[in-house]
Amino acid sequence: MHNSVKNREEKFRFQKKFQGEKIKMRENLPKVLMLGWEFPPLINGGLGVACHDLSSAMSNFANITMVVPKSSLDFKTKNVNLIGINNIDPNAFSSHNKGNTPFTLHSVPADLNPYYTSTTDASATDKPGEGKKNANPFDIDNLYGGDVIKKVHQYSDITASLASTLNFDVIHAHDWMTMIAGMKIKQQTGKPLVVHVHSLEVDRSGPDSKGWVYDLEKKGMEYADMLMPVSNFTAENIYKYYGIDKQKMSVIHNGSTSVKSYQSKRNYKEKTVLFVGRLTRQKGPERFLEIAAKVLEKDPNVRFVMAGTGDYFRSMLEQSSYKNIGNRFHLTGFLNAEKLHYLFSVSDVYCMPSVSEPFGLSAVEAAHFGIPCVISKQSGVAEVLKGALTFDHWDINKAASHILSLLNDSVFKNKIVNDARENLDNITWDISAQKIMNAYSSRNFI
Amino acid sequence: MTSICFYFQVHQPFRIRNYSFFDIGRSDQYEDDQKNEEILNKVAEKCYLKTNRKMLELIQRHNGKFRICYSLSGTVIEQFEKYRPDVLQSFIDLANTGCVEFLAETYSHSLSFVYSKKEFVRQVKKHGAIIKKHFNQEPKVFRNTELIFNNELAVFMEQMGYKGVICEGVDRLLNGRSPNYLYKPVGAPKTKLLLKNHLLSDDIAFRFSDQGWKEFPLTANKFATWVHSVAGQGETINLFMDYETFGEHQWESTGIFNFLDHLPAEIFKHPDFDFKTPSEVIDTYPTRDTYDAHDFISWADTERDLSAWLSNSMQHEALKQIYSIEETVMNCGDPDLLRTWERLTTSDHFYYMCTKFWNDGDVHKYFSPYDSPYDAYMFFMNVFSDLECKLNDLKEATAATEALMKANQISLDLPVEANGTLEEVSPYNALMFFSNIYNEWEHKIKNSLNPDQVSLDFSTEVSNEEKDEEISDLKLAI
Repeated sequence: MHNSVKNREEKFRFQKKFQGEKIKMRENLPKVLMLGWEFPPLINGGLGVACHDLSSAMSNFANITMVVPKSSLDFKTKNVNLIGINNIDPNAFSSHNKGNTPFTLHSVPADLNPYYTSTTDASATDKPGEGKKNANPFDIDNLYGGDVIKKVHQYSDITASLASTLNFDVIHAHDWMTMIAGMKIKQQTGKPLVVHVHSLEVDRSGPDSKGWVYDLEKKGMEYADMLMPVSNFTAENIYKYYGIDKQKMSVIHNGSTSVKSYQSKRNYKEKTVLFVGRLTRQKGPERFLEIAAKVLEKDPNVRFVMAGTGDYFRSMLEQSSYKNIGNRFHLTGFLNAEKLHYLFSVSDVYCMPSVSEPFGLSAVEAAHFGIPCVISKQSGVAEVLKGALTFDHWDINKAASHILSLLNDSVFKNKIVNDARENLDNITWDISAQKIMNAYSSRNFI
Repeated sequence: MTSICFYFQVHQPFRIRNYSFFDIGRSDQYEDDQKNEEILNKVAEKCYLKTNRKMLELIQRHNGKFRICYSLSGTVIEQFEKYRPDVLQSFIDLANTGCVEFLAETYSHSLSFVYSKKEFVRQVKKHGAIIKKHFNQEPKVFRNTELIFNNELAVFMEQMGYKGVICEGVDRLLNGRSPNYLYKPVGAPKTKLLLKNHLLSDDIAFRFSDQGWKEFPLTANKFATWVHSVAGQGETINLFMDYETFGEHQWESTGIFNFLDHLPAEIFKHPDFDFKTPSEVIDTYPTRDTYDAHDFISWADTERDLSAWLSNSMQHEALKQIYSIEETVMNCGDPDLLRTWERLTTSDHFYYMCTKFWNDGDVHKYFSPYDSPYDAYMFFMNVFSDLECKLNDLKEATAATEALMKANQISLDLPVEANGTLEEVSPYNALMFFSNIYNEWEHKIKNSLNPDQVSLDFSTEVSNEEKDEEISDLKLAI
């Protein structure tokens, strides 16, 4: 971990420069120390988007200091004091400042990949130009590769040390990766700890999941003073699988930043049903395939497109060929925002068959593009996006019939789309930020 | 007397590019032209030109007693024509020696025999035509793609007028018998089968440079000794291999060209041995026993069956889909679409999709231009989807035109060529012509308040009254 002297000097210089640009503290506003993991430019999924947009919205109501593994000068957020610990020299702090967890966590090195399960197939994951680099701790480009637990520990050590030099009223930690840091900081400062729950191990790995991450989540959520799950669905899961009192929770639905939506003409005739997400168990890719096969039985002139990659990638190709729908079922691999938006612009229905989806921002994004959504009831977004058709994630027939109705009945489709448009006014980060501030003050954190 | 019968396979596919979902309906560029040209140039330099020069030299050195045989796929000939006419010329030079035979095969090196007999016949005929054109030979012996063979194929080829078929000497079918004789297939009494001696063939093709092989290094002298040991126990030793063995699979540095240079002389050291082409072998020796291939066999992988192309669901799906549009492609009348489809039937596309990942997997991987079999499948199906869109568009245009022609009693009796090549005056061209007229009419009628004022500026011999009638008919239809 010892960088060369020259590197260290450079880092110090950078740090000074960085601190010189520090956002001016507005004394009349409360001070929130946010602990994030994914953040632009390192984004794997919804978490990075949510942290970025939420902190930005909250900066209207509070002084936000956001500590993330990696920051880049290209991604500054207005009014948010963003600290990337890739720019911090761990040796700048004396060791006694590193903080302690309130309990002992035993861990072994683990190639743990909570959000993104890579396949051994290099082609499926690493498209040209997106190649992985060997990640040194906190000179990282890969948040979840390698020994992620080690990275989490390093993050928490450095962040805890850093926190001793900062002034704040509340600690606001996002998901399990930052929980140790949050707990250490609470331990050393006595400030209240809020844990924002975007995703749980039971969402990712199923209700029977146990293990280090589950244990950490449970302990972290128990130790926190307040939990902010992103949906009632997640609040219910926290209660059901982690045994935590709902009194401690305040549901904060995600908002969404409106994107510049547009419609494009398809290059082919068939109508298009879209899936966006990691191809992992949690997102129900197999369900999507079964739904596709069902719809195609009735109407062969539909294309089904899966945007994303993951450990189900190969299986999706094999299974779609097995069902003889290879010419109607397409995988695009991982897409950048531009391509993804294009895909939204040519799609007729958005389908999210997640098995367990804490929120599901992509459905909101689809709604922005005026695409009707068919989403599983096991999702948080269904609580706020009322203009959507829902189904239990196992109910293939229902999903297929929803899709067929939307494809064939334009009046019905327009009704759904318009209803969703109305909902969008209430799905904003400003509302989420306001709710968070209210929740803080209801517990006298600020 | 015992004859050595050399047959070399020369084939290159038109590899398809990384054709993504976003290309569907947008890009006509299916093939990776750059890669195809690069690979052809590489193999031309490393193998084709060098080996052809060596073969020519050997034929001259041994006064025509060194005789060999090739099978060139239609796709590789097209690539020679396009990128390397010099290589094609060097094959023509070899053909001109009179010591080289060219075999018949499917034009695009396809699995058509398994999927469509009609397409198979079309491709074999088309291939025959191109061989005749370049080498002035009419092939009499047939080899199917990758030596895919069964009894039915033998019967089929006999009906098509071929006197022999090349196939793999599969141990489980030989059941202890020697591959070094001519065999007769079940059901085709006039056909003779040449069976590949896979031990001796693979000694050259696969094991030649294997340093872990106990016979390494293989010299011409040593190989000739093995061949000579067959004396009295065989009539034809069939050494069948990919031509790319020389210089490409076995690099020049392995000494393969040196081996080849000395081999004929070493063989001729035994007075009872000579070289013959497949036709000569068939004309010289009788069949000695029956070779009963009820199921498909091939020379691929250790299974020697169809599993290299047909073992997983992706391969099945891709093949099923591509042949499902055969009828439509044949009837569409567009020579470009036909050629595109024909190239998509090339077996290599399905070979790349093979997921058998053991020793054979290495071979699949070696040949594949893609990162994985899954990519191969994905890109192929995207291309297929685009082709399907094009055909559907054409179909709709045809239907519209037919409706129009019906309304005007114009018949479209244009000659359709049966042999797979389409002349310039194709139904497709006619269709374009009529569809232009149709659009013009539609436009005029829609924009005209008074249909009587519509002027028709194309010359068909119809009277004014008839014209008026047609217009009102058309108006009703629209």
